[in-house]
Amino acid sequence: MVSITIDGTTLNVPEGKNVLECALDNDIYIPHLCHHKDLTPLGSCRMCIVEVDGEENPVPSCTLKAKEGLVVHTNTEKVQDLRRLALELLLTGHPEDCSTCPEYGHCELQMLIQYIGPKTGRLKMRNKGFEVNTKNPLIEQDMNRCILCGRCVRACHKLRGVGAIDYQKREDLEVYTGTVKNTLLKDADCRFCQACVEVCPTGTLRDKLMLAHPEQRKEEVVVPCRTACPAHTDIPRYIRYIKEGKYDEAAAVIREKLSFPKTLGYICTHACELECKRNCLNEAMSIRNLKRYAAEHDTGSFWKGKGKQLPDTGKKVCVVGAGPAGLTAAYYLRKQGHDVTVKEALPTAGGMLSYGIPSYRLPRELVQGEIQVFTDQGVKIETNSPVEKPVELLKDYDAVLVAIGNHQGVRLPMKGSDLPGVLLNIDFLQKASMGQETGLGKKVIVLGGGNVAFDCARTAKRLGAEEIHVACLEARDKMTSDEEEITQAQEEGIQVHPAQTFEAITGEDHVTGVDFMNVESFSFDENRRAIIKKEEGSEHHIDADTVIFATGQRCTLSPDAGLETGRANSVAVKDLTEDKSTSVEGVFAAGDCIYGTKSVVMAIESGREAASQIDRYLGGDGDISEVLAPVETPSQWIGKEPGFADRKREEPDVDPAEKRQDNFNLFDHGLCDEAACREAGRCLQCDLRLGISKPRVWGDYAKEV
Amino acid sequence: MGTFDWNKIESSELSDYGLFSGKIADRLKKVKEASEEKNVCPRVLCGLNNADRDHAYLDLLKDDPDSVMNGILACAEALGAEETELYLPENETELAEKLKGSLEEKGIALKTGIINVREAADDFIIHIAGAADLAAVLAGENPEGRFFKANGEMKRLDPSTPLKEVLDLTDAKAVWNGYTYLTLEEASDVTVGECPTGTALLIKKNQCIVEETKKALTEDRKISCGKCVFCREGLIQLEYEQSEITQGRGKAEFRDYAEEIGTAMHTQTLCSIGQKSGDAALSAFEKFSDEYDQHIKKNNCPAGVCTAFSHIYIDPMTCTGCGDCLDVCPADAILGKPRYIHMIEDLDCTRCGKCLEVCEDGAIVRASGKLPKLPQRLVKVGKFKRH
Repeated sequence: MVSITIDGTTLNVPEGKNVLECALDNDIYIPHLCHHKDLTPLGSCRMCIVEVDGEENPVPSCTLKAKEGLVVHTNTEKVQDLRRLALELLLTGHPEDCSTCPEYGHCELQMLIQYIGPKTGRLKMRNKGFEVNTKNPLIEQDMNRCILCGRCVRACHKLRGVGAIDYQKREDLEVYTGTVKNTLLKDADCRFCQACVEVCPTGTLRDKLMLAHPEQRKEEVVVPCRTACPAHTDIPRYIRYIKEGKYDEAAAVIREKLSFPKTLGYICTHACELECKRNCLNEAMSIRNLKRYAAEHDTGSFWKGKGKQLPDTGKKVCVVGAGPAGLTAAYYLRKQGHDVTVKEALPTAGGMLSYGIPSYRLPRELVQGEIQVFTDQGVKIETNSPVEKPVELLKDYDAVLVAIGNHQGVRLPMKGSDLPGVLLNIDFLQKASMGQETGLGKKVIVLGGGNVAFDCARTAKRLGAEEIHVACLEARDKMTSDEEEITQAQEEGIQVHPAQTFEAITGEDHVTGVDFMNVESFSFDENRRAIIKKEEGSEHHIDADTVIFATGQRCTLSPDAGLETGRANSVAVKDLTEDKSTSVEGVFAAGDCIYGTKSVVMAIESGREAASQIDRYLGGDGDISEVLAPVETPSQWIGKEPGFADRKREEPDVDPAEKRQDNFNLFDHGLCDEAACREAGRCLQCDLRLGISKPRVWGDYAKEV
Repeated sequence: MGTFDWNKIESSELSDYGLFSGKIADRLKKVKEASEEKNVCPRVLCGLNNADRDHAYLDLLKDDPDSVMNGILACAEALGAEETELYLPENETELAEKLKGSLEEKGIALKTGIINVREAADDFIIHIAGAADLAAVLAGENPEGRFFKANGEMKRLDPSTPLKEVLDLTDAKAVWNGYTYLTLEEASDVTVGECPTGTALLIKKNQCIVEETKKALTEDRKISCGKCVFCREGLIQLEYEQSEITQGRGKAEFRDYAEEIGTAMHTQTLCSIGQKSGDAALSAFEKFSDEYDQHIKKNNCPAGVCTAFSHIYIDPMTCTGCGDCLDVCPADAILGKPRYIHMIEDLDCTRCGKCLEVCEDGAIVRASGKLPKLPQRLVKVGKFKRH
């Protein structure tokens, strides 16, 4: 450590540390522009110049190394004059209109102008005449506002180790930063990590998504996968671990937020993939398959027998329904120390995981294995135990959670809907799961266009139906089911008929088929009522001996359960996310039964929220968070990878239709080892830029210089 | 080549060339000590001074490249350096092509452009001419004098040789010594050793100082890397000023701004380009203030170069209305009809002088400064009233 003096204040600082950092770290502001805490000092902007005793001329303090006895003056007249001149020169090439710039109010240059007060109007102003470059995805470049601080170049080369951009000179000798010969960023091997945008002090380099969503918080826009996930799983973090081959760490990251990692790795509806920024380059990250890979290679070294378990509280909770919402809530409540019993009406736990999603998508043993984790933690599950009146459970329990899901299939009120041969989605799938007689014929029409409709259709195929049709109201591109479901179903010979209205189910004492008409257009009016325009003269008929309604599900809550209900017979709660208490004190509700049929991951998050709220109700602190994965700061260095932006999405190993369509075996074998590593390497690592130090401006500092 | 002989170099008291001419032995020692202390491996970088646009010393690479290369390798040996680099200016493509092969053989990397001084903090930089002399000293030679290029030939001269003995200063109004202008008076006192680019150029009487300064600043902008604010933006302002002055839009304040910017450039830039390139404007304004006054206040270019000040007009008293000039004007700048006085539209006139040559009556005049009264509309020959 050495002793230096800045404007009369003596500081003890490490020898060799640059004087600017010494000052800033000790709450003394010295203006600076090209300097950035995470980047090597450049000394080009000349804002941070100081006079040094014993030196004739002012020198930049960012490159001045501290040594014993150094005496520095930051605000002499000479220094001020030079600083003003430097800023005046910078501004000659900078647009004079601040108010049209998206950086207005956050611009470091603007704040510097406020502080330094350069002269204006003396020197020749010029418009650099650059076209705003919007040709690249994710990053917009407006070189008219560039002040050549060089932070972007240093960030790209030294911080990230990529080097896609550098100083360039236009034909008329105007200097700017960009790719060689102005190629597209992807052709310069840019990795779209957006470190350049993060460090740019002005409105030169901009994040296109942030510009499009000014109302959203920065962290939400910058890492959209994490935001879109209902549980906000730290996706970039676990993908990074997978790339490094650290599957246990990756699985631990996942487990911090999700109680069913393997299950989700098989069947999650991956809202994250829809928001993935990689979509803007070529194809989204295969996040679900990566999660599956990590979960399947996990040995549990970071969480088995570890993690939170608070001492017994003596409180008892009963969870009604052993689906993903109920089991998740039960697991976390147990971890908070409460005594938890789960009552399940059906013979096995799992809810839709065991009785809705077919086993060819989600093997039954796998689900039971994940549930074992909860029972190992001490959750008690009583199967074959239906509960008619959940409110009465309050006699024996301190709190009750209703998580019964939506197990009542909707039968559309139309002609023929009661005929023999008409089945409901949930009944059909449940019976198929239990190996019971389903009442299926040979020619099946499934009415509905969601994932459940395809579960029914493909289950029917595997149970031996010969001709299967799926018909729905929505147009092909508006169908709610996953693209791959539709494609795989068609490969298995299932015929898909979008844009159809269901006119009538024909038949006298048994189903003989369905009458349809084509939909010309389908929209909603201002009261959210559907307006369907049918094509004139398009009546047609498809023969069938079985019709399966896959047109929605409702909650099975009976009217004398004692609980207030909401829309579509759901259990009414005070707030879907913040307050899951029902009309009866001590009774809470979570999952599909409160908000309608959504996804497994939403149910898991709903269960977590319920656990937190019930814990608080029972006197706990409501904090169910836990740290399982090692707490590490990821390296900001990512390195150059030629052709990075064009690397294609790895696809899982899927059995062909002929092999898979007549049995209930798992047909999607996930990513192989090399594919998983390659896929993980495609990630843009959007979270890394949030780890870059924030800029420091004069208003942040106490001492008036 | 043999092992590096410190004694030989020290006793020869060999100093480097160009702007940073310290004793080579001393500088080598300093870099060696620093690299040992910091435990880094220095590189050896060889080139001209960044700001040198005369490229005179490159003749050494054209005539005797081996000597320069041996000098570089000797420095590498002295320092235990593994990487050696030779820098050639970007526009010297022919020379680069010629040297590529032998550089590769000797393991010296060929670089184009200026030396990045920021990244060379731990490295040893030697001038091309310095490397050549170093090689000579190590080979046992005792080179006398210093390299200097005059009249197209690179020679060894005693550095105290007066410049006027080597250059014929008649017809000159100034001398450019690589980085500044010298008046004829100053030039007659200057020695060969005081020319850091190894040569000096004459500015003839029919050259305009302002125009020459503008060209120099444009060339500096071409080689500047653009990182330092004062160099990049300063040169833009200085170039703009000279350009405006040549076009008759010069302002008195330009001198003061140039003074402020040029002085700041001396101390607030990182390499010789920033430190020296402002001196063209500073020395021009200082030493040729008359010529600048003529341009700015008197609307005149004494050398007759700046076309903004020279005009070509048709004397209405002499014109016979023959139309020969109208036919030959490539810019269609002449108006007139047969037997009417012809007129030149000043804004369109490119001052090419073709009309001047073709007029048999000598009615067309090239002049600067205030023009006589000229017709503004068609007037019959002989009918123009001057007063």
